[in-house]
Amino acid sequence: MGVRSARLLLTVVCLVLGVLLVAQFRTQRRITAALLAASSTDQALIISNLVESNAELREEVGALRSQLSRYQEAEGQEVLQTLVNELNRIKIVNGLVEVSGPGVEVRIDGRISVLDMQDMVNELRNTGAEAMAVNGQRLIVSSVIASDDMGMIVNGVRISEPYIFQAIGHQETMAGALTRKGGVIALLEARYGGLDITVSKREKIVLPIYRGSFEFRYATAVK
Amino acid sequence: MAISRRNISIFVAGLVLGLLLVAQWNSPAVQPSAQGYGRDRMAVTTQRLEREQEELKETLARLREQLAEYQRSAAASTEMLEEINAALESQRIVAGLVALKGPGVEVILDDSSVQALPAGADLSAYIVHEYDLRDVVNLLWQASSEAIAINDERIVATTSIYCVGSTVMVNDTRLSPPYRIQALGDPVLQEGLLRDPAYLGELKERVKLYGIQFKVVKMGEMTLPAYRGSFLTRYAKAG
Repeated sequence: MGVRSARLLLTVVCLVLGVLLVAQFRTQRRITAALLAASSTDQALIISNLVESNAELREEVGALRSQLSRYQEAEGQEVLQTLVNELNRIKIVNGLVEVSGPGVEVRIDGRISVLDMQDMVNELRNTGAEAMAVNGQRLIVSSVIASDDMGMIVNGVRISEPYIFQAIGHQETMAGALTRKGGVIALLEARYGGLDITVSKREKIVLPIYRGSFEFRYATAVK
Repeated sequence: MAISRRNISIFVAGLVLGLLLVAQWNSPAVQPSAQGYGRDRMAVTTQRLEREQEELKETLARLREQLAEYQRSAAASTEMLEEINAALESQRIVAGLVALKGPGVEVILDDSSVQALPAGADLSAYIVHEYDLRDVVNLLWQASSEAIAINDERIVATTSIYCVGSTVMVNDTRLSPPYRIQALGDPVLQEGLLRDPAYLGELKERVKLYGIQFKVVKMGEMTLPAYRGSFLTRYAKAG
């Protein structure tokens, strides 16, 4: 190889090196930028979620304030009633009373992965489910759908196809969010060709009580 | 000697030329200013709403504390009230309305530590996604955890972990990495399941291949904050 062509080769190599160096920088910057700057649509969604969640917070602040003033005015029997009402309300959240109300039913005819089942639970919570059950098992905060070689297990009980999720909440909002374009149902149907999922609005859904136990063996309340 | 010195100058010249070329090609794309302005306003709105959310959460927490105080003092009067009050207190603990302490594990999840990505790399492989957090949380419940929080947001019955673009939201609150998942329970059982190769396969693969950070630390004692969001039951009625 002549000195000339060696030099030419060297020049090309250095040129490429320079380009690559900068390209590297750019990639790094792009990843940071992608993480930092949510797109306008994302930002709009974040804003609308915040507006909604703040409205809910305000509503609950209002409810607690009136509860507080009832306490301040009430005596004897009324105090008892207020306590019982509050107890029942928290029991609904904890799955310890049978509940009923409007909502949606999602029926999945076929097998999906356990992670997809868990994501469905998350999605239903995301659309505003106040209480829910799958195949008659009430789902509480720590309920997790698990699986083994034989199939799915929830609250320690084996469940089998079809999987029927029932969730109490605003029917239109929930059904709309679930069945929207690019929503969870569309994604599942795309992932599992031929999978049949139906979403139905229901005027009245009745959910059973959670039959498991709550045992705090490790955690204690901070006084 | 002469040649090698010349080679060095060629090297430097080539490098500079390359840098300049790319700098040129990379010259600032013209940003429509209107869009930039809109984005700024949105960021301001988001911040304002987040401040408001923070204030509302504080108010809610204070009201809950006052109510609990009332209920405690009211309960002291009769035996029946006392009984109901005890039930209320334990239901509050189950619901996540009380700060809890105890042993457990802390899981730290963070975006890849890789400094320079190979050209054309799939960026999404290098960041922690909302489904990663979800899978870890589900696994921690499976490991009989008694309470869980992500970056101090307590997981309750109505919590969903979702994302808007690349922003992770928990209890409608924006979280950013690193994510610290704290779970009270039996640390040995929790760690065993987290490290079990049968679980979190996809995440562990990305830890190995793309440098996603995943750390599990057993904790002797830690404190999880109470849930500060709302528990509205507008549609569900008892019975």
